Amino acid sequence: MSLKPYLTAVRRTLTAAMCVENFSSQIVEKHNKPEVEVRASKELLLTPILISRNDKEKVLIESSINSVRISIAVKQADDLEKILCHKFTRFMTMRAENFLILRRTPIEGYDISFLITNFHIEQMYKHKIVDFVIHFMEEIDRELSEMKLSVNARARTCAEEFLKRF
Amino acid sequence: MTEAHNFEANAISCHAWNKDGKEVAFCPSNNDVHVYKRTPGGWKVHEILQKHDLRVMGLDWAPNTNRIVTCSADRNAYVWTQGEDGKWIPAWVLLRTNRAATCVKWSPQENKFAVGTGDRVISVCHFASENNWWVSKHIKRPLRSTVTCLDWHPDNQVLVAGSTDYKVRVFSAYIKDMEEAPERGAWGCQPNLGSLLAEFPNSPNGGGWVHAVAFSPCGNKICWVAHNSSICVADATKGNTVVRLFTEHLPFTSCIWVGSNSIIAGGHSCMPLLYSVDDNGQIYFVSNLDSMQKKETSGISAMRKFQSLDRQARTESSEDNLDSIHQNTITSIRKLSPTEFSTSSLDGQLVLWDLKLLENSIAGLKIV
Amino acid sequence: MSRNNEDTSGSGFRKIDVDQYNENNFKEEDGDGGSTAPTGPDENEILTLLTQGKNVEALISVLKSAPLGCRNQQTKDSARNLTLKVLLSIKSSQIDDCLTQLDRDLIDVLMKYIYRGFEIPSEGSSGHLLAWHEKVYNVSGIGSIVRVFSDSKRA
Repeated sequence: MSLKPYLTAVRRTLTAAMCVENFSSQIVEKHNKPEVEVRASKELLLTPILISRNDKEKVLIESSINSVRISIAVKQADDLEKILCHKFTRFMTMRAENFLILRRTPIEGYDISFLITNFHIEQMYKHKIVDFVIHFMEEIDRELSEMKLSVNARARTCAEEFLKRF
Repeated sequence: MTEAHNFEANAISCHAWNKDGKEVAFCPSNNDVHVYKRTPGGWKVHEILQKHDLRVMGLDWAPNTNRIVTCSADRNAYVWTQGEDGKWIPAWVLLRTNRAATCVKWSPQENKFAVGTGDRVISVCHFASENNWWVSKHIKRPLRSTVTCLDWHPDNQVLVAGSTDYKVRVFSAYIKDMEEAPERGAWGCQPNLGSLLAEFPNSPNGGGWVHAVAFSPCGNKICWVAHNSSICVADATKGNTVVRLFTEHLPFTSCIWVGSNSIIAGGHSCMPLLYSVDDNGQIYFVSNLDSMQKKETSGISAMRKFQSLDRQARTESSEDNLDSIHQNTITSIRKLSPTEFSTSSLDGQLVLWDLKLLENSIAGLKIV
Repeated sequence: MSRNNEDTSGSGFRKIDVDQYNENNFKEEDGDGGSTAPTGPDENEILTLLTQGKNVEALISVLKSAPLGCRNQQTKDSARNLTLKVLLSIKSSQIDDCLTQLDRDLIDVLMKYIYRGFEIPSEGSSGHLLAWHEKVYNVSGIGSIVRVFSDSKRA
């Protein structure tokens, strides 16, 4: 199945999810925390939505009154892809502050998570943030398969060099 | 037809006009309130009101007594009066709440104002001249979550509040110490502050934070908008029946009446839309007031954006701007005059809309 | 911290969530709980309609009897499985035709089940659900997606 209908559905769902506003904590005075992470007031959380392309690739969108958490599971067909994906996402999350909306650790069962709050929506255009997430989802697949090809090519060259001796 | 103003604010969270529409106060999503004056050479900053420690959540400008009230996430409210030199002087209001003050509104007679809070309390404040301060009285029950929006009935005695517990409630806001006993209005009569006169669940499907409420000019109808993209009207003269319209847009965050049967709503879709109530009480969509430069429906444009993203990998060109004047969520709508209203947005713009001119230019547009 | 953490009088009290005892806390409404609790769609009836080729009738019937206000997760899950079966048995070319026979409220319910269907992906199911998603979006816009998020009576 092609990627496009999947990304279109994710894009539309994200647009609907990102309707957040500034909201101060009802629990702790003078605090303003992402309710989707705090989870202290049940009425401020929305129904979590899952969109799957197949049993391996899926996106979980959890939304609340002032924040949205987006978790992405990336396709990993074999051990090599698993290692590459882990390295790639680890590289990103170690530099999470540069990506602004990246969460330092992914939600369990997913490879990478984004946390978007009302403060991000105020600083940046909402539709551009949606563009960014969709762009990321497009790129990570491509990135992983390119890395896999180059690792394989490198391994082949190594093997050839090694076998020349015999 | 429309005038867009940019005040070099990153995002405007709320705004209010003075009586003649020559001055505007707005909060640029921080702790300050900026007051601008309209001059022949454009908008000039008049004063920056700095008193709050945390973000200003709501403000309102009383037209006749010329006072500004502001409330903030720091749990405080201030009433600002203008001194003889034109400077604004703050007076602190003791709200007696322990959470953020989220919204504030002067009563029509401007002798009271109500503040909604995250403490599940509405503070109704009035001035006690013997002590020279603002006294607040609380409405607590049966609020179960943060109060997000308020509006006063034209009779000065009844208050409607929307909350994140998915309900809209009508309360008596009569204060015994300072005013005559209320006459029996359309919403009933209770001689105690805080008596619940009516309660409406937002949706039969549950859910939906209430984002804005408004009494109709006559006070018999209440309109509210909520997070399930709905627009609802309750009518006291028809036994408190509620008519709901589930729209195909993103949720609205603000609504105002512009006539006895017409409502303007705007929000996350970034465009103000006009709805009307027909003789049977049904709500129907009239027109998108921002339709002038809009060529495509949002569905197609989302598709187009996706395609351009697909082809070019990254798009920084101008073509992926939204097809609307506002580029981000509309945060508040205010009436400026009987035929003009204004919208403020997280994109930092304040836009003035002239309904008379819009009525002439959009076919079938009629304010009723 | 005190040295005798192991002591029974130690730190246990620190973990008590005192906020839950606030009597003004938000409480979920009981909805239709009790004797009138919705039991969900009648599986035999739906399957009979499907074998007779009356797919549209099956869809309308299953959506009308959706146990949205129900608290029992098992009832909800079996309704989801049944609805998914109906959705998958309707061909892509028939979807538009099908949607013209649904009113606004049922379309909102349908959107909820499309999203629930993504939870149990099987061979080709997601692709078909994405086709449904696209067509429902074209009919009812982004509003129906917003209501999947915001309605507290969930599919």
